[in-house]
Amino acid sequence: MDEEPERAKRWEGGYERTWEVLKEDESGSLKATVEDILFQSKRKRVRYVLTMEDQDLKPNRLTATLKLMEYFVEEYFDQNPISQIGIITTKNKRAEKLTDLAGNPKKHTTALKKEVDTACVGEPSLYNSINLAMQTLKHMPGHTSREILIIFSSLTTCDPANIYELVKTLKALKIRVSVIGLSAEVRVCTVLTRETGGTYNVILDESHFRELLLHHVKPPPANSSSECSLIRMGFPQHIIASVSDQDAQPSFSMAHLDSTGDLNLSLGGYYCPQCRAKYTELPVECKVCGLTLVSAPHLARSFHHLFPLEAFQEIALAEHTGEGFCQACQGELKDKSVFTCSACKSVFCVECDLFIHDTLHCCPSCIHSQGPS
Amino acid sequence: MASEDEISLLVIVLDVNPIWWGQQAQREDEFTLSKCMDAVMVMANAHLVMSRTNKLAIIASHCQESHFLYPSKHWKAGDSCGDDSSSAGGDGKYEVLSVANKLISEEIRSLMARTEVKGHQTDTLMAGSLAKALCYIHRISKEIEGKVVIKAAEDCALQYMNFMNVIFAAQKQNVLIDACVLDSDSGLLQQMGLLLELCGIYLVSDLSCR
Repeated sequence: MDEEPERAKRWEGGYERTWEVLKEDESGSLKATVEDILFQSKRKRVRYVLTMEDQDLKPNRLTATLKLMEYFVEEYFDQNPISQIGIITTKNKRAEKLTDLAGNPKKHTTALKKEVDTACVGEPSLYNSINLAMQTLKHMPGHTSREILIIFSSLTTCDPANIYELVKTLKALKIRVSVIGLSAEVRVCTVLTRETGGTYNVILDESHFRELLLHHVKPPPANSSSECSLIRMGFPQHIIASVSDQDAQPSFSMAHLDSTGDLNLSLGGYYCPQCRAKYTELPVECKVCGLTLVSAPHLARSFHHLFPLEAFQEIALAEHTGEGFCQACQGELKDKSVFTCSACKSVFCVECDLFIHDTLHCCPSCIHSQGPS
Repeated sequence: MASEDEISLLVIVLDVNPIWWGQQAQREDEFTLSKCMDAVMVMANAHLVMSRTNKLAIIASHCQESHFLYPSKHWKAGDSCGDDSSSAGGDGKYEVLSVANKLISEEIRSLMARTEVKGHQTDTLMAGSLAKALCYIHRISKEIEGKVVIKAAEDCALQYMNFMNVIFAAQKQNVLIDACVLDSDSGLLQQMGLLLELCGIYLVSDLSCR
């Protein structure tokens, strides 16, 4: 175990000191030496599967991936505030949990930041990591969407048992597995994703990587076979108390009791409607009674995935009669084509069309007609 | 002070529901829409004067539509309204200010005159005006941050979903929203402030002291 990091350094070291070796060698032909060194380094790279330290993504794959993962976590919670993420890493033929399933993005981003310093060592194990993920996801209720996203850089995997058996179990549990490959297409991944209904893509460069990650931020279309059930949720009110109130007493938040960081006393907060336990942030699952506590805006954010805004109709500028101004941003309509909302017939420019569909999710003019009176 | 290159855009969304203002005038003679407009113009002028590159937009939120009081879309940017050269040069005031003030007062006069008021609701279409404000910010400032100030009367529960959508869009764009509510608490704006940490300031003004 200790030898392997040493070898890694020697491999890197060997690469750095190449010019020295060349200098020393005077009698033999230079060409042979160079080829030998290259051959040696290639061999080492393949044998110890240190592909995450590869430099095709700057500064090296691991750092680039971790940075994009932080971005992914933030975007994911932005679009799906009542969901949860857990992170698992694999190296040395083992898998271990980096963070538990949680709904708080800060925990994940701090853990990811710490991972930058770890060395890549040994071979990954697909079987072990999927198994570990499955153990946790198994306990989730049936109406939730359960997914595993694998970022896979190596071309091999070291498994203790038949992975195709595992695929059958995943199908039975209705867990979708998707893979983003960083090197090349691997057959086992293709089978894995095809059988479970996920997607498999191999990246071309960093921007493609980012695009693929963004693709996974949006929730998958609702599966008709998922169970429908009533979900109990609590909507706590925010209580603000000041020191001058007679009844106000500072207290700890239940969420902080487990953490090793600073424990802060706070006066106000959110009180669970079922058991009156206090929390400072939402959304959270109450540790005492298990009720999911959310706030209305969080649900509202998930709403637009279920009822997306219809695409606007595109018509050429020449055909458009009426005012030559975009009704959202008041800018002149200068582009080749303009976009019309089918419901209210208002006209928008290209920029506003993109903005409305990607960010706003509601037509500015339709809102006006939905108002009172 | 901000550096020369930084452009600061301020968008003010003003609630001009005539029914609410009419009722307000009956409750208290002192505080009318014109006084409120004056106060808003003071703030707008102050913003424009702070830096040469500062930009401004004012949206009036009416019961059936939201209308841009400033800048007018028929007025091309960079024009100093050639016809008004007399008023602009008249008292030595900073040109932008005199043009802006004149434009705003004309626009609001015409808006109030031409809009037919249907029904007797005192609610306004805050979500719609905010949506337009965000589209405008998006167009003007790809790189710079914008800020929206809202002066509002009352909430309408029907608009909740749309309002939330607009707030999330603002959060994504890093647009700060300050809210100034006249006379009554607004649950919507409070939610926005507390939960989404978007509000710079949330204040409820007691009309007697303004």
